[in-house]
Amino acid sequence: MTQTADRQLELTLPMVADIEIAAARAAGNLARELGMSPEKIDEMTHAIIEACINAREHSGCADNRMYLRFVGSSLADGTPRIDVWITDHGKGFDLGEARLRRQQQLGTTHKRGWGLQIIEAHMDEVEISSSVQGTTIHMVKYDEKKS
Amino acid sequence: MTEELRVAVDRRPAGAVLYTKGYINNVGGEEIANRAYELMDDGVRTLLLNLRDTKIVNSIGISILIEIIEKMMDKGGKIAFCNLTPVIHKTFQIMGLANYASIYNDEAEAATTLGL
Repeated sequence: MTQTADRQLELTLPMVADIEIAAARAAGNLARELGMSPEKIDEMTHAIIEACINAREHSGCADNRMYLRFVGSSLADGTPRIDVWITDHGKGFDLGEARLRRQQQLGTTHKRGWGLQIIEAHMDEVEISSSVQGTTIHMVKYDEKKS
Repeated sequence: MTEELRVAVDRRPAGAVLYTKGYINNVGGEEIANRAYELMDDGVRTLLLNLRDTKIVNSIGISILIEIIEKMMDKGGKIAFCNLTPVIHKTFQIMGLANYASIYNDEAEAATTLGL
């Protein structure tokens, strides 16, 4: 589907407590400028919060930074779309192992390790690439279709 | 950057209501837990968490809420929630919290059902 890139924002953030709020606010502001509905914005910001926490808690990166890129665009029918990339230069992780752990905890009362499930439930598309050079999560959120 | 959570307590004859304001992260979750455990130690067995002024939660904060629910269940009590935003409600469901605690639209509905 044809889309036009309207706005773009790049941030480099230190991995400190509550920095995920800064990332979520920046993305929320961009989404509001595009006219995205509050409920969709809330879902997107909660996914960003979990992705930032994952990077902060598990990446083990030496530079203590996370790199975020937000691109706002509109589909041909006017539907707002936000693409979010969150990158760390940490040690990476085994996506297969992570998915296996998630399957094992479905339907249980495990208290930790829900970040990826929350991200996938709140976003429309999620793609993760991870290696020993680091991890990038690319997430996409669409607004309701404009009629 | 700080998003400190504030918790207010309203003791009632049949239990208590906790009002939260701000981000429920690890620190906020611990703050709620401290208040809840004080109330449990004081004999409270019906606890309602009114999240009307909380718009953001994370999975670590919710995991602490689940611990509070488990401790209350061990004591034979119950915990309920009200005034959740749609995304917080959805996140509670994803993490299974909604299986162990009742969720009400507003405080009036909760208070009536719980007898608070």
